Amino acid sequence: MPNIVVLVKQVPDTYSERKLSDGDKTLDRDSADAVLDEINERAVEEALLIKEASEGEVTVLSVGPDRATEAIRKALSMGADKAIHVSDAALHGADVIQTAKVLAAAIGKVDGVDLVIAGNESTDGVAGAVPAILAELLGYPQLTHARKVTVEGSAIKVERETSDGITHLEANLPAVVSVGEKINEPRYPSFKGIMAAKKKPVETLTVADLGLSADEVGLASAWTQVLEASPKPPRQAGQKVADEGDGGVKVAEYLVSQKLI
Amino acid sequence: MSFVESEERIALRKAVADLGRKYGHEYYLKRAKANEHTDELWAEAGKLGYLGVNVPEEFGGGGGGIGDLAAVCEELAAAGCGLLQMVVSPAICATIIARFGTDEQKRRWLPGFADGTLRMAFAITEPDAGSNSHKLTTTAKRDGDGWILNGRKVFISCVDESQSVLVVGRTEDAKTGKLKPALFVVPTDAEGFTAHRIDMEMVSADWQFSLFLDDVRLPADALVGSEDAALAQLFAGLNPERIMATAYAVGTGRFALSKAVEYANTRTVWKAPIGSHQAVAHPLADAHVQLELAKLMGQKAAALYDAGDDMAAGESANMAKYAAGEAVVKAVDQAVHTHGGNGLTSEYGLGSLLAASRLTRIAPVSREMILNFIAQFSLGLPKSY
Repeated sequence: MPNIVVLVKQVPDTYSERKLSDGDKTLDRDSADAVLDEINERAVEEALLIKEASEGEVTVLSVGPDRATEAIRKALSMGADKAIHVSDAALHGADVIQTAKVLAAAIGKVDGVDLVIAGNESTDGVAGAVPAILAELLGYPQLTHARKVTVEGSAIKVERETSDGITHLEANLPAVVSVGEKINEPRYPSFKGIMAAKKKPVETLTVADLGLSADEVGLASAWTQVLEASPKPPRQAGQKVADEGDGGVKVAEYLVSQKLI
Repeated sequence: MSFVESEERIALRKAVADLGRKYGHEYYLKRAKANEHTDELWAEAGKLGYLGVNVPEEFGGGGGGIGDLAAVCEELAAAGCGLLQMVVSPAICATIIARFGTDEQKRRWLPGFADGTLRMAFAITEPDAGSNSHKLTTTAKRDGDGWILNGRKVFISCVDESQSVLVVGRTEDAKTGKLKPALFVVPTDAEGFTAHRIDMEMVSADWQFSLFLDDVRLPADALVGSEDAALAQLFAGLNPERIMATAYAVGTGRFALSKAVEYANTRTVWKAPIGSHQAVAHPLADAHVQLELAKLMGQKAAALYDAGDDMAAGESANMAKYAAGEAVVKAVDQAVHTHGGNGLTSEYGLGSLLAASRLTRIAPVSREMILNFIAQFSLGLPKSY
């Protein structure tokens, strides 16, 4: 009966144009529609699959502004049991280390955690570092980039897939797992799930509630900061190949010249 | 009075839109053109409870209202893969059975409506009666405890995809000898029941049928509710039908309009995208206004219906259906026109909507019959027929 915490993050929809704010170069949250990051939907799905196989409880944990409630509700409507939302203006501009510290402190508020499941990286920050830092702070083994997860009693097995290949990992619980795109297909929330989500408990905490001080978190004390940003250059016109019976050869030559084949 | 939908309704719309995106218009067209149905979409939407949002919770449904069901219908249509039978099976049939069925009938049928595993067609229109329900000739005679049903029906949707059909017939009043309407659940495999597909020129994954009922023997419990409640039953079922037809049309219009906007934003012939020209932009803006107005009236009708005010819901539902029928025709027409020649190519998939978008103007009741209703009941003008 594993007690699972899933980390979820609200991000700007990748379909919309994403921007940094002019002043402090942090994410301009008003410029785009906010959604639950898709990789987190997969993390929630994996937690629900484990729960359905061996019972247990799934707690959703999110660090983000007030409107992140929407992302939390989505996870609850998929079937998670309850949520913790750390929301504090002091967190504005927090980097991955600070975020991981906040997450670790919030996980400390949940009794008897067996498993922490995260997405391998967010679509906005794309650092891909939080799961590893969090594991380090919690003193848990880290099993990252999972494409398959199996929990057997107090042991966990993971198939880890990266560009280097596939590695088979095993660890004892409690552990931190991060999942990749191939892990599963997330479910759509059912109507009953949507109706039930509003009644599920969401505990809202501030930085102070976690025993941290405001000057430990946020942009002023962050280890990383965006100093400059420039918009993506417009896409260049492609190269046109007129097919005079040798189109296939020309395409192949182009691909060879780009070292693609 | 609130013009904002509940958080749950908005979350439902998003969830359904996500499901719709997984299937989409290409899937729909591929199926329709291959002479196939969109069964997987129906099954998946049913399993997620989207097709039974309005069925009472005690029978496995979502316990929501017709407004929730309309939101589902609209979002699927807006994704280019509308489910036509939503207008009938959960909206008319499930509503009538939930409101007027016997306890046994509710236990038997409502759980299937809740998860979409039961699909029921609805048959009222007859070849010689048209919109004149007083001329319905489908008649049920007593046969011991049960009934024998005879008659013909036309333009009945999705009969081949349904296990049964809710047939509007008439029975003889024992005292007066006059015929009065009565509703019967007829299994599609009943002896004496035949259905012929009507060839249609609109591209649709759901088909139309003529029905022949020749001495169809039915058990006593095929009659829904009591013999005297049919008029109230029809009223209860036909308002949701108009609300759902509105949602289907608004969704279809939104789909066409979104395609047109995407095209007008990207298609550049001289210096700027064609959408910067008012001759292109204004008709699209107008189409948006008309769709939003129709949607709003549909939401009003649904809110009134869900609040139990059948009379007021009737007027709003008729107005909404009228407005939606006009709005979807204009939106599709303008979307095709915005695309120029591309609007009629198979690649852009809009030409296929031209005939289908006329449906809401004609069915479930014609634009002219709605105007008759409004003229007579809302304005107090003399009855015209």
